[in-house]
Amino acid sequence: MVEHTGGEFVREMMQWHFSPETGSPFWLKRAGTLGFDPLTDVKDFDDLRLFPNVVDELRDVGVHELIPRGYGDGHGAAVYESGGTTGQPKRVMYAAEWQRRSVEWFSERLDSHGVPRNVDWLSAVPSGPHNVGAMAADTALSRGGVNFFIDLDPRWVKKLLAQGRTDVAGAYTDHLIEQVGYILAGQDVGVLFATPPLLERLAHHDDLVELVNRKVRAIIWGGTHMDADTRDLLRDEVFPDATFVGGYGGTMMLGTSVERPGLGRDEPCVFDSFAPYTTFRVVDPDTGEVVPYGERGQVLTHHMSRTALLVNNLERDYATRIAPVDGGFGDAVADVTPVASFGDTTVIEGVY
Amino acid sequence: MLSLDVLGPGGPYRSRRQETIRDLAGNPVATLSLAPSLYVTRAIKAMRRAPALPLDARVAAFARAARAFATQSVAGLTPEEYQHTVSTVTGIPISVVRHATDDIARAAEQIHRSVENARPAAAVGSWRDPRARDGAAVWTRRGEVFAVHAAGNHPAVHQGWLDALALGYRVAVRPSRREPFTPHRLVTALREAGFGDEGIALLSTDHDVADDILRHADFGMVYGGADVVGKYAGDARVLPQGPGRSKILITAETDWEPLVGTIVESISSGGGTGCVNATGILVEGDPSPVAAAIAERLAALPSLPPTDERAVLPVQPVGLARRWDGYLRQRAAGTKAWLGGDGVVDELGDGSAVLRPAVHQLDSPFAEQLGLELGFPCAWVAPWDRDAGLRPLRDTLVLTAVTTDAELIDALVAEPTIANVYVGDHPTPWMAHGLPHDGYLAEFLMRTKTVRCGVVPAAGVSGGPPGARCRSASAPSRSPARHR
Repeated sequence: MVEHTGGEFVREMMQWHFSPETGSPFWLKRAGTLGFDPLTDVKDFDDLRLFPNVVDELRDVGVHELIPRGYGDGHGAAVYESGGTTGQPKRVMYAAEWQRRSVEWFSERLDSHGVPRNVDWLSAVPSGPHNVGAMAADTALSRGGVNFFIDLDPRWVKKLLAQGRTDVAGAYTDHLIEQVGYILAGQDVGVLFATPPLLERLAHHDDLVELVNRKVRAIIWGGTHMDADTRDLLRDEVFPDATFVGGYGGTMMLGTSVERPGLGRDEPCVFDSFAPYTTFRVVDPDTGEVVPYGERGQVLTHHMSRTALLVNNLERDYATRIAPVDGGFGDAVADVTPVASFGDTTVIEGVY
Repeated sequence: MLSLDVLGPGGPYRSRRQETIRDLAGNPVATLSLAPSLYVTRAIKAMRRAPALPLDARVAAFARAARAFATQSVAGLTPEEYQHTVSTVTGIPISVVRHATDDIARAAEQIHRSVENARPAAAVGSWRDPRARDGAAVWTRRGEVFAVHAAGNHPAVHQGWLDALALGYRVAVRPSRREPFTPHRLVTALREAGFGDEGIALLSTDHDVADDILRHADFGMVYGGADVVGKYAGDARVLPQGPGRSKILITAETDWEPLVGTIVESISSGGGTGCVNATGILVEGDPSPVAAAIAERLAALPSLPPTDERAVLPVQPVGLARRWDGYLRQRAAGTKAWLGGDGVVDELGDGSAVLRPAVHQLDSPFAEQLGLELGFPCAWVAPWDRDAGLRPLRDTLVLTAVTTDAELIDALVAEPTIANVYVGDHPTPWMAHGLPHDGYLAEFLMRTKTVRCGVVPAAGVSGGPPGARCRSASAPSRSPARHR
């Protein structure tokens, strides 16, 4: 995968995914119902808007259909799934080269934040079919450390919360924290990779906070959102000695974007994607137009690599549009939040 | 523009996330900091670790805070500026806000009365009391931190949590985003008067984080509608404060005509926005003349902007006022309208509207509208007879019963779901400091325990760590919830 201008890159990707020799059975079949010819009509990033959003089709498609023929038998495919709170989860296929490339890029980002190498990791992130767990293990290993996992099933927590069973969800979280506590106490952990809810929960336990502050030199967070005020508190008051690095990723992005290094204390958390493979656009949810820099809108993601073509996917998230780093593609995003908030007042009976 | 910071145990905290509070015309008046969950957790933990002030110091601090609250600049606002702000944001008439200021100050000054009145007669306040040497009931807290989800319907509602602070709890107040000014001022005054940053906190949060305050505190109190009451009904640590549904009952042997002034005052005093304002009027006999008379009196109340000295009715942004109006009309379908049947919205021309009184007559004391409480003077007049009995009178914060029937009074006083009974010509909003509003909060927050302590306490220590080893007093306090 070579880097060049956006147009060249896009055309090269179209060639790969829509040539009978290299494309996946899924896309080669799907090309017939697109209503345009990706090989001639899609010349640059803006043309990606021609594509339909196919992520829902990933719930049923046989995963072998997603493997581009160009890889031959050496694809080294791994299958990862979306959060999947209801029904069939969406499945994506990572060829081995994409996982390796993602780990390399992630690791370079960590270097630019000063995250130490040759230390062991504790990863309190979703495991099982979720890619973030594999990223943690592979990145730790590539940086000269070993990775300690805990078992974490995010779907069970989401199911409990959806049913309003917060007490059971709390008990499950306590169970996770207990696992984290054993590793923190018994092992020399230098990097802690965790979801924001688990970091918050960890912060309730003075003994564990003390252990983290004594041992951990960098905290990587991701998997769910972290609001700016909570980030300030965790970074400045709870874990003041650790370097914080945030990630914003998703199964349909095939990877994560990473906090931009060198941001000031008062700047919002800006995420840069692994461009040109994964790019963001921040769009007006009503018109679909790209919003001006500094304005908020809904996050649209494109993923294009040899491993997959998943473009024009409107995420549920909202973010502030930020200029990409020099020469970058698409947008950077900041202050990512799950949904826009609405301030309508409704009549509530009673005087309170 | 005012900045209303979170007031936590580490001092004021200004979040990145800010909510804009606007006046009735939509102009921004203040920004409110909103604490994230993690802040709340840490704040309550720090408050739990903080020692309680001794009782005498608490009472003295209340007196100082009362003076500051009512007469001095607090958080940069004079009392007049504060009152004007509350009135322009909430639409509560300025005279009502002013009266509430004095009321809160008096409640704070006289806080010792409700604490003393609530204590079981034979219980002593401390293990140091000489009566504990041979064994005595000692009145003690059941926990350390009390949380309140405060209401914003009326400033005086903040009297409701003062007892908890007076009893030695550390108190975390989550203000209503409709009216955070009163709790911000009151909490600031109490902190400066001696409770300090760890003794009392203002933890403004958005809806998602609100429950965390209750979860981490030992006990809590929540104001809200029937939904809120239902939500916390199974939680023994939370005391829900639901709709007041206050009522007036007039029995047949009573001449109702001299009572019209009291009824009108019960419905409309304080702008009619309180839980103590009457919503149900039950008349033994024909209710029509009563409805006609109160409708006539209420119709004469003027429509004025809330900051006008003569204003007596609440004002809301037009859009919200119309939604209230639509809701009222929908619920009033099939009843007889004496007042407000063709709408209660009276626009003032600046984007706001007065909510005018409504009086409707119901066919039956069992009509569901009888308990329908809205944020403006709104009364439902219904017939009542002995066959109907107590059922329509249940679930009532204040019941004024104008009757001479001692057996009926017995039954009303005995009825567990009626919180207060005023017999005779007394308006439902009547309250006196030192008397319970919905029981004493202490009934929920305190317990007695037998202490027999034959050691002589070290001199000069009062309320601090005991100088002598005495197990009952030095046992670590724990959240009672953990024992359940």
